[in-house]
Amino acid sequence: MDPVNSDDRRLRFEAVAPAVIDAVRRFLARRTDPATADDVLQETLLVCWRRFDEMPDEAVVPWAYGVARNCLANAERSRRRQGRLLTRIWRLDRPAAVSAEPGLPDHDLATAMRSLRAADAELLRLWAWEELSPSAIAVVLGVSANAASIRLHRARQKLRDELRKAGAAAGHEESTEGSRP
Amino acid sequence: MTDDDDLRARLRRADPAADLPPLDTSRLRESTMTATTTTPRRTTPLLTLAATALVLIAALGTWWLLRPADEPAAPTAAPTVTDLTAPGIAAKCVEPSADRLRAAADFAFAGTVTGIDGSTITLKVTKVYRGAGTDQVRVAQAGDTSETMLGSGKFETGREYLVAASQGSMLICGYSGEAASPGLEELYLSAF
Repeated sequence: MDPVNSDDRRLRFEAVAPAVIDAVRRFLARRTDPATADDVLQETLLVCWRRFDEMPDEAVVPWAYGVARNCLANAERSRRRQGRLLTRIWRLDRPAAVSAEPGLPDHDLATAMRSLRAADAELLRLWAWEELSPSAIAVVLGVSANAASIRLHRARQKLRDELRKAGAAAGHEESTEGSRP
Repeated sequence: MTDDDDLRARLRRADPAADLPPLDTSRLRESTMTATTTTPRRTTPLLTLAATALVLIAALGTWWLLRPADEPAAPTAAPTVTDLTAPGIAAKCVEPSADRLRAAADFAFAGTVTGIDGSTITLKVTKVYRGAGTDQVRVAQAGDTSETMLGSGKFETGREYLVAASQGSMLICGYSGEAASPGLEELYLSAF
């Protein structure tokens, strides 16, 4: 690699890095524990830097989310492997839920999100927390914009259904649902 | 769609990253760019290469141990002398079985060592279990000793041996050895 190009590459990376770091950091904080988030953030940045030439000019952040998603999946795979190994060594009963997802303050919402399929819950997180449009979600997940849009629509519907169920079970109506006929 | 907006607002209120403390990203950026310029993901290919090399070595080794003799000297009845080769390499063996011996050996005999000349051992045949009858067998031993041969591990003058061969190559791994080795004669009797 000739030094001029490599300097140029550095400059361009420096330009997008702060936005990417901030966005990916939040992305990870919403999905895993702080220690894993730190590791995966570093790993994600390394991958982004290595594959910087593949990075699209627009939709940089959604593209980086896509990278972070894969890195996080890798980290969780190895964590599960480690967990299985430890279980075998120590023959301890581990809690069934090994997910390190941060808990939500809104109990009904947390229950409803948990009862959704993982893919649906992820769509909703990308939509509400990362504030992505369907076309940006499509970049993260590597699907067509059309598919992302349809799936998001269905996921929202399912979440509403689940929230209604949770509200009914708890014997009270949530204010956000009060306006529904 | 106000319904969707409500839903999004409710989700947003539960955003776990809402109160994330700010982070100084300069160190992170710097470490990223320096880390990858010096070590562009080398570990995995190296590991893969090493693993491939190991597998190749193992495969070659196995082939080397199990390969048939270069010049298969089929037992020839006419001069009543049969030539065999014996591998001189130590090998890991599975437990011998009569079935495998029956399937593998095309020549098996009992004989007494009458002479050792360098690496060639001459045996006087006392009994042929399988294959063409012959009076004398010459075994060309590759090494000084074969640890995988039952008994003392090598041919000694005057002792009696049970020897099985496939395509002119002596079967080791518990299929040939001193006739007095425990179980060997029983193995031969049940195989042939």
